[in-house]
Formats: sequence, structure tokens, C-alpha cells
Amino acid sequence: MLVLGVAVALVVAGCGSGGGKLGAKALAEQSKALQALAAEGALLAQDAGAGKTTRIFTRVHSADLHKAAAQAAASLKAAKTEPALMPKLRRLQGLAVRIRGDLERLGGAAKNQAPALGRDLQAAAQASKQIGASLE
Amino acid sequence: MSLKNVLGVALGILSAIGGFVDIGDLVFNTQAGAVFGYQLLWVVVIGVVGIIVYSEMCGRVSAVSKRPVFDLVRERTGFGAGLATLIASSVVNLMTCAAEVGGVAICLQLLSGLPYRALIALAVVGLVVASWVLPFTWIERVFGYLGLCLLVFGVAAIKSHPGWGHVAHGFVPGSHAGGSLMVYGYFVVGLLGAAMTPYEVYFYSSGAVEDRWGLEQLKLNKVTAIIGYSLGGILSFALMIVAGALFLPAGIDPQFLGTPALAAEHVLGQVGLLLALVGILFAVGGAAIETSFSGAYNVSQFFGWRWGKKERPAAASRFTLSWLIIFALALLVVMSGYDPVKLTEYSVIFSVVTLPLTYLPILLIANDRTYMGSKVNGKLANVLGVVYFAIIIAIAVAAIPLMVLTHGGKG
Repeated sequence: MLVLGVAVALVVAGCGSGGGKLGAKALAEQSKALQALAAEGALLAQDAGAGKTTRIFTRVHSADLHKAAAQAAASLKAAKTEPALMPKLRRLQGLAVRIRGDLERLGGAAKNQAPALGRDLQAAAQASKQIGASLE
Repeated sequence: MSLKNVLGVALGILSAIGGFVDIGDLVFNTQAGAVFGYQLLWVVVIGVVGIIVYSEMCGRVSAVSKRPVFDLVRERTGFGAGLATLIASSVVNLMTCAAEVGGVAICLQLLSGLPYRALIALAVVGLVVASWVLPFTWIERVFGYLGLCLLVFGVAAIKSHPGWGHVAHGFVPGSHAGGSLMVYGYFVVGLLGAAMTPYEVYFYSSGAVEDRWGLEQLKLNKVTAIIGYSLGGILSFALMIVAGALFLPAGIDPQFLGTPALAAEHVLGQVGLLLALVGILFAVGGAAIETSFSGAYNVSQFFGWRWGKKERPAAASRFTLSWLIIFALALLVVMSGYDPVKLTEYSVIFSVVTLPLTYLPILLIANDRTYMGSKVNGKLANVLGVVYFAIIIAIAVAAIPLMVLTHGGKG
């Protein structure tokens, strides 16, 4: 019974995370997810620039963030939405690509390059937040 | 009490503090703080009191009857109900063990930069060797003491300058802001589940039998449960406060095990980062061993096999084989590529569903004079036990619907 419950719940909980046609709510969720990744990357980059972290931690953790950003970018690229929301979807697609690129570069960035990446990620987080707010 | 006894109690408390936090606490406390700030601190208090109440009962039952809880569960509830409890607890134990093993591999990767999959295998080998070689007390203490590095989150919480008025307000249940009521409910369930995981009480009671507790250990049982878990709860507060102070304003959603360490790093620099990673490594490593042993204890006690870490492996061969199989299955689950953080969320929520099966027999046995003689529950233990059982039933019913409706707390 429990095993069956686990299986059903896993399947149900996994639903709704694919591409498909996105409404305003789903787009707002995507923008929130992008904001979270960019903000976390910005914090990491800021610490890397300030010498607060280790190179290994920066490389491994930024790789995790990059992987999640790449998934978000792929999901947004495949997504469709209603015509009125297309401009926002396009902006989110662009932001996802930018965040993905910044996070990829952060893994191998020198200490003096990290602050610039941090600022760009912070700006991307802010832009994602604004898009999300306009969709709610 | 002699100095030696005081030292023994102090060491036991220290290992209880260090061993309090597992991957479930790390994930749920940090995520709750990132979404609701300090508003759910009161839930941690309820969870900590709950685990104190039932661990004390478990330890007392073991000390008085000289038998572990699962042995008595089968005898008291019969084969059918006992088997259902065994199956449910085994599934949850395996999920939790897999999540903890994944957590160990992630920490090793964040410390070494080596490939994740190789580190999963290394983690399992290391945990098996530690479980095999170290005596029971040393397993508890080595992992418990090194888990104390997590106290770095207490320092980080203070140095992140949270609004202490808001923090104090978080200890009072009330209205919420920052997420929907259902997401709030999901985190209430998750935080209680993370604090009251069934494997902890099974491990605690079997450990009491392994350590040959008797009536003279009843005070030690009470002191260890109350002080150890209470102080361990401080780590949970610290995780939530740090997340509320740093992640909530930035809109960070902690989906990785490295994210809590990032908080310690941001506030305290490289020393904070390394202490956080070492603390997480040993906290989740210790919990991985506890879950594998807990599963082996349950199976062995249910079927009446010879069991115990203090037995020679050949003498308790089926017990030894059981915990080795649990590690092997955990290895397969994590190697399949399932995200340990997601696995943690599921394991905590499903452990909530099994909580009544774990805690009802304990409550019944602790009240049964046949087993307990004059050491049955007092009025306070019974009132708390019944109140907590009602809470457990409520959250067990709500757990899976809330997980599905909120998409695992995402709203």
C-alpha cells in the first residue's frame, strides 16, 4: 500500500514540469526559478571575488547551478505560450541563456573576474524578478 | 554522580547534539527559512519536544524490559500489524539511507572536486568500513563529535544579524506571509517529519539494549533525551535563521546541499565553509549508518535473529548481512542518478506517513505494566504522548496530499 502510494505520488509530483504551453502562472514560476539560480550564483561569485570561498567549492557548486540553469533554458526554449505572453517568454529565454553562460564561466573564473560575473548574475536575477512580478 | 559519570553524560549529550541533524533537517529547515523566514521556528520546537517525548519512552522501555522496541512491537501488535510496520519502516529507511549516502558523496565532492559517481562508491565503502571496524560507542561519538562542526551555523546565524524581534516572533504560531497556506502546511509537515524520523527512535532503543541499559540508566536516558535533543534543536533553529536572513531577501531557493554551506561561507569565509562541509559530511554520514543499522535492527528483531553491533559479525550474520544489503541498495538508488535532495524530500514526507505505525506501539508498550512494571508512563508523559500522537495522525493524513498539491513545496 505504502509502496503504491510512493509510486503514485512520485508520478503525480513529477507531472507538470515539462515544456508544453505555459500560462502566466507557469511563466511566473519559471522566472522565480531563474531568479533563484541567478541570485545564488551572484552570491557565490561575490564570495569568490572576496576570497571567501575555495576554488573547488566554486567550481562544483557553480556546476550544479549551471546544470539547473541549462535545464531551465532548455525547458523555456521548447515552451510555447499564448501570443500576449510571447514577449515575456522571449525575455525569459534570453535571461536563461545569459544565466547559464555566466554560471558556466563562474566555474573557471579567476578571482578578479568573479565580481563582474556576480554583478551580471545579480542584474539577471533582478530582471527575472521583475518579469515574474509582472506576470502575477 | 561521580566525575566519570558526569563526563559520560556530557559526552553522550555532545554526540546527541552532533547527531541530531541529518539531511532531512538540513533540507527542510533551510528551505523553510528561504520561503517563510523565521515564521516556522515554532514547528521546530514542537518537533524537538515530540522526539524527546518518544525517545525517552523508547529508552525507558528498552532499559526496563531489556528488549528493543521492534521486538516488543511484534509481540504487542501481532504478526500482521508488525509486518506492516516493518515493511513501511524498511522502505522509508532505505530511502533515507540513500539520501544520506548521496549527501555524503556531495559533501566529498564539494571538498575534493572529484567526480560524484566515484565518490558515491567511495562514500559507501567508507561507511561500511566505519560500521564494520568501529565499536558501537565510537560510531556514535566520532560522527556525533565531528557533526558538532555544524555549530558553525549557530555562529553564522548570529553574525548574519537577523532581526531578533522577528526571530522571537517566529516561535509563536500565527499568521504567515511569503507563501500560500498549503505551502506553509507542507513545510509544517516536513519540519515535524524531519525532527521525528522513525529511524532515530529505533536506533536509540536498540542502542540502549546494545549498551546494556538497566534501571540505573533511566536518569541518563531522560537527561540525554531532553538536553541532547533540545541543544540539537538549536542547530535546526540556526539553519532556518541563516536561510531567513540571507536566502529569503535574495530570493534563493536552496535546492542543493551546497547551499547551506554557501550561507556559512558568506558570513564566515573559508573557515566557515570548511566547518559547514565537514559538519554536514559527518552528520549525514552518521545518519547513513544509523539508518542502515536501524533497518537491520528492525528486520532482525522482527524475525528473532541474533542481532547487535557488539556481536561478532559471524555470530550475528543475518543482522550483518541486512545492514550491508541496505547500504548496497542505497548505493544502487543513488547511482541511478536520483537527486539526493529530492529523495530527502520524499523520504521525509513518506516517513511522516509511517509515523503512527512507529509511535502508537511505543505509546502502548510504555503504558503496559506487563512490560514496564512501575515504570509505566507518568501523567505528563501520557498527556504529551497522546497529544503528539494526535499531531502525528493529522500530519500523516495531510503529508502526501500536501506534497502533491504544492508540487513538493513549490506552490
